Parts: sequence; C-alpha cells; structure tokens
Amino acid sequence: MNNSVLDKAQQLREAVRHFYRNEMPAGLRDKSHRHQVLDKQDYLQWMQLLDQKGWAVGHWPKEHGGQEWSLLERFVFEDELARLGCPWVIPFGVKYVGPVIYTFGSDEQKRRFLPGIVKTEEFWAQGYSEPNAGSDLAGLRTRAIRDGDDYVVNGQKVWTTYAQWADWLFCLVRTSTEGKPQSGISFLLIDMRSKGVTVKPISTMDGYHHVNEVWLEDVRVPAAHLVGEEGAGWTYAKFLLKNERTAGAIVGQARHVLDRLTLYARETQVNGEPLINQPLMRNRIGEFELRFLALEVASYDAVMAMLEERDNGGEASLVKIRGTELYQEVTDALLDAMGEAAMVFDPAALHTADGLPPLGPQDTGGILKEHFYNRANTIFGGSSEVQRNIIAKVVLGL
Amino acid sequence: MTTDLETIGMLRDSLERYAADNYAFNDRLGMLKDSSGYNEKVWNDLAEFGFLTLRLPEDMDGLDGDANSVGALMEVVGKYLMQEPFLISGILSTTLVARLGDAGQRERLLQGLGSGQMLFSCSLEHADDCLLEDNRLSGRLDLVIHGDAAHGFLVAVRTGAGEIKLGLVNASAPGVQRNPCRLLDGRGAARVVLDNAEVELLDTPADGLSIEQHIDLLVDEANAALCAEACGMIDALLNTTNDYLKVRTQFGRPLATNQALQHRMADLYLLRQEAFALTRAAERAISQPAAERSRIVSGARAYISQAARKVANEAVQMHGGLGITEELNVSHFYRRIMLLNNLLGGRDQHFSRFVESSLGAA
Repeated sequence: MNNSVLDKAQQLREAVRHFYRNEMPAGLRDKSHRHQVLDKQDYLQWMQLLDQKGWAVGHWPKEHGGQEWSLLERFVFEDELARLGCPWVIPFGVKYVGPVIYTFGSDEQKRRFLPGIVKTEEFWAQGYSEPNAGSDLAGLRTRAIRDGDDYVVNGQKVWTTYAQWADWLFCLVRTSTEGKPQSGISFLLIDMRSKGVTVKPISTMDGYHHVNEVWLEDVRVPAAHLVGEEGAGWTYAKFLLKNERTAGAIVGQARHVLDRLTLYARETQVNGEPLINQPLMRNRIGEFELRFLALEVASYDAVMAMLEERDNGGEASLVKIRGTELYQEVTDALLDAMGEAAMVFDPAALHTADGLPPLGPQDTGGILKEHFYNRANTIFGGSSEVQRNIIAKVVLGL
Repeated sequence: MTTDLETIGMLRDSLERYAADNYAFNDRLGMLKDSSGYNEKVWNDLAEFGFLTLRLPEDMDGLDGDANSVGALMEVVGKYLMQEPFLISGILSTTLVARLGDAGQRERLLQGLGSGQMLFSCSLEHADDCLLEDNRLSGRLDLVIHGDAAHGFLVAVRTGAGEIKLGLVNASAPGVQRNPCRLLDGRGAARVVLDNAEVELLDTPADGLSIEQHIDLLVDEANAALCAEACGMIDALLNTTNDYLKVRTQFGRPLATNQALQHRMADLYLLRQEAFALTRAAERAISQPAAERSRIVSGARAYISQAARKVANEAVQMHGGLGITEELNVSHFYRRIMLLNNLLGGRDQHFSRFVESSLGAA
C-alpha cells in the first residue's frame, strides 16, 4: 500500500478539522450543528467557503481547477465533514454534472459551465427520476425530439432536489424509443428559465421543502446543450452514478449521530444516574459501536479496492446498505432515549436561529427533521433493495 | 364487567362506518392547520354516540364497556388517524372521575365530560414534579396532550408523606400557565407551569383500592388502549402497502412479484397477527391481579412498539419516495407511531418492567 496516499488523506482530515474549528463562520456552524434549515444563501456561502479552500472540486483534474484527490482523500474529506456535522456538499454541480461535462462534454460546454460549477455561481439540479421510473430508471419517458437546432422536450421529473433554486437541470431524456430502453436515452442540459419549465414543490414529512416535481412542456433546448452523443446518455448516467456512490458521507453521518446518541446518554440523568449507565442503553450503544466498527473498516477496504482497481462492483452497495441502515437505527434509538421531548415538532421553528424546542436539548427539532428526511436514505441513490440486487447479480452472479 | 362480543362488534362497526364517511384522509391536512389539531364536529358526534361514556357504569349513565370495547374503538381511531381527545378525556378522565371522585364531584363533572362539553387532560407520570400544599399545587407538567385545549387537568402528585393523590386543576385558574405546542402528528399539547394553583382533590377511591393502585390500573388500561390504536395503524399500513406493491410496476412487472418483497410482507403479517393477539391479551389482563396485569400489558407494549416501528419503516421503504411525502397517509402513520412509542413509557421502559415482573427484581 502506498504510504503517501494514506499520509495525504490523513493530512486532509486534519485540515478539515482545523477549518471547522477555526475558520468556519460561527453562525453557519451553529445552524448546521443544530440541524436548522439552511437556505440558499447559507449553501452558497458554504460551497464558496469550500471553494476558497480548494475543496469544492478537490477530486477534479488539475486542468479544471481540482487537486486530483485520490479516492481515499475524497472519502476522508466527506467522512470528516459529516462526522463534524457540517452541511452537505451539494453534489449536483461539483460531484455529478461537472465530471460528466469535463469527461464527455464539448469544449464549448466546458468553457461555459465548469467555472460556474467550481464557484457555485450557478445552481444545478438533477432531472433523473420520473413518476414511473424510480429504481427502474431506464423506464424513463420524458421525450426529446429534434427540431432544427433544438430539442423539444416534454415530460415530468420528480424528487428533484432544490429545483426551486436551480439555474440549470441536467436531465435524462428519451431521444429514441427503438431498441433496448437504455439505448434511447440522452443527457441534456436545460436552462431552468426556459419557457415551459414548471417547478411544483413536494412537501415531505419533515415539513421542509427539499424536493419538487419538474414539468417540461414543449421546452426548447439548443442541441448544443446535448452532452456527448445522442443515445449515449445511459453511459454518462452510469458514470455519474459511480461518482454519486462515494461512501464517505454515509460513514461520517453514522458516526455523527452515534456520537450524538452517546453524548445524550452521558448528559441525561435518570434516577440520579447517567442514562448511559443503564444496562439496556449501554448494550444498545455497544451494539451500534460494534456495527460502526465493521462499517468503517469495510468501507475503508472498499475504497482501497477501488483505488487499487481490484473492486468487484459490490463495494459501494455494501457501504450504502450498512451505513444508511445503521444511521436510521441510531436515530431511532436517539429519539427513543429522548422520550417525551421527541414528541413535539414544529417545523417552522427550524427556520429561525432562536427557534428552541419546548423540551429537550437545543437540537431536538433538528434531530427530528433529520430523522424524518433521512428515511429516504435507504430509498434514493439506488434503494437498499437495488443495492442487494447489485450484489446478487454483479458479485454473486445469481 | 365483560362486554359481549356482539356489542363490541357493533361498537367497532358504528365508529368504522362513521369514520369512513366523515374522516377522509384528504380532509386531514386542512384539519391539522386548525388551532386544536382536531375536528370539533367529530368530537361532538363521538359524544352524541355515547362513546365518551363507554367506560362508565350504567348507574352513572354509561355504556359499561370493558377494556376490550375500548380497544375496538381505539383500533378505528388508529386506522383513521383520529385526532380527537377520545382516549385522554373521553376514557381516561371520565374513568378517573368515576373511580376517585365523590358523589358530588361525579354529579358535577361526568355530565360535562360525557357530553364532550368539558375536556380534561391527564398528567399521571410526573407525580414528583409537583408539590402539593394546602390544596395548592406548584410545579410543572411537562407535556400534557390536548393540554392546549383542555378545561381541566387531572394531576397525579406525590405528597411529602410519599402518598399519591389525584388533583383537578382548572385550566383557567390563577397560577396556571400553559405553553402550547404541537405534537408529531399535529395534535395540540401544552407544557403547564403551576404556581400555587388551586386544586380540588379527587379523594374517594372505590373498590377498596388505594388512589395509587387506581392510577396504576388506569395507566395499564391506557397502555392496552394504545396497543389497540397501534394495531389499527399496523393493519392500515399493511393493507396500503400490500395494495401498492400490486399496482406499482418497475422493471416491467409489479413489485409484488418480487419474492424478496413477498417474504418481507409475510414477516409484517406475522407481526400484525402477534400485535392483535397481544392486544387482546393485554385487555384481558386488565381484570387480573396487578403483578400479572402489568407484566402482560408492558410485554404487549414493548413487543408492539417494535412491531409498529418495523411496519412503519417497511411501509415507507416499500412506497419509495412517496412514503415520505405529506400527500400520502403512510408518513402520517409513521409519525403517529413514533409518537405512540413514547406515550406512557417507551419501549425500553416497558421491556424493563416486563423483565422485572417476569424474573423478579435483580
């Protein structure tokens, strides 16, 4: 194993910690720590802070402004941010569409779009899922028909995160209905201000507006905004999905909430004794620690396998299944431990800096919000069921 | 007193028919925006049906129903996500007044409670958070469900001598401050602070039990009722999910054709059957001696808490993204189950109680 790879990753981890302690604006740190709702301005500030550190696109090639991080550095970066409870790195520009554009896009597309992605001057959203194409993404029906120098696009996307803020939508569309479903798909970049684009919010049970329906009605998209070749969209989507499934944030998030549970159990007195001394709680946290240990070492092995190109295709699925399931169970346990305090929920209070809950610690409302929304962690980005299918098919050959 | 099965079936059917006609999920989002978080008209109708006197004996103009009949209605409450204070005021408060009040208090209070004109909330779990002196009560009641709307609070309090008393505090009396909040399922609640508030004791226990024994019994009855509510929700989630798997098509075939999902649904079905059986056992146990009663009731709650959570998690998961939206009832059941699992003791508390009464204290 290459020592310099390990050293560089460790240095990055320490730099992230130092940044969090010493450089992150207190307002943003506090809001994020209590899981308050972050608005677009907060995210702009956050992404631009990361850019100033050279971290927003650390994993990109140097020629496009990146630092050519190894997969391990990338893993460690996201892991550490999540452990500390930082806002997430909004992936749509820097992680998803950016690499697709610099790998498959035209020179004009690179020139036009990459700088705005690096600096988060333009917000991107992902137009993938449709009402009848969720796990079965290749079943998508949004139609794009060539008309002169344009494509005319009609259809509906769903679960589109932050579409309400987005300037651009990278979108999978069907340009042909011939052959296998995968072969007629193309990858288009759609200006959200185009005529015929309508965004409708979907309310979710955490009471916050993350996701949307995006309706496309006779939207004219210049053919120059087709990425790569017509009909090759599925290849680009798979390439992108590979970038989506970097595991660091999943591991860090599980660690963060397990630390929160342990802290709660230490600070809370029950009958004159810390909750953590109760055998049931001790046992439960102990089981979680053991599972986290397994997750952490297996994730690390998975990254090293990918790094050394001896991966078998099941690595990312392992991390996603184990990490998201552990995360959800730990938040379940945390809310159990909080008891009465976890029965009160006022989503509106999460929008205000001083919106403190009537009972329980300051971050009670935020913990509930995260718990609700993160029920989707085992659904999006390839549900746990799809991940198990991947292991059965790709690894086990069943 | 045992209510016969036919009567229980009639009770369940009448509320079920009423809810099917008057409690459509589509009206729910509007109702949640109302200040009380429940439907006043429905509340009056429940009173009209006599449901708020279900647990009162006939000589107090009640229906003389047993725990099993309460459970029958609570299943429907769960299935339709009913928000009205049926259990808190209509069952628990009326029963407390009937069992602990003197003739004058019963005369004065039961008519209003039974007709739904008067609404009481209970605080039975915070006996050590309040101080009782000369018929004045000071302290805090951390979370009182429907405490935002209640006219009175029935409060269990431990005296200096270690004895449990039950007091009634008028919600609009001087020294009562309530801070309203909303629960996970949109029902109203309040944290109540009492500062030398006047309290009226209900101090005439019937049947030779102490006040503390009466309160313990009532809490177990409430726990059995919560089990039944959970059963109603489990059943509804199971049916909704089953239907969805049959109609949702991915990869060219209905989700229901995946054997892996079939097996998961079969496991949920087993949990459903166990939950109903445990609920019936808990209801039967209400008439048994205290030790056996609390063992069965807490065992049922511990098992059903976990079962309900499992069913709720799986229902969300199998509905995919739809499962976490406001528009679908699945997320509403999910939140209500989360809430239920912290009402009157969480899973660990009930599990510990079950272990201790099964094995003896360590």
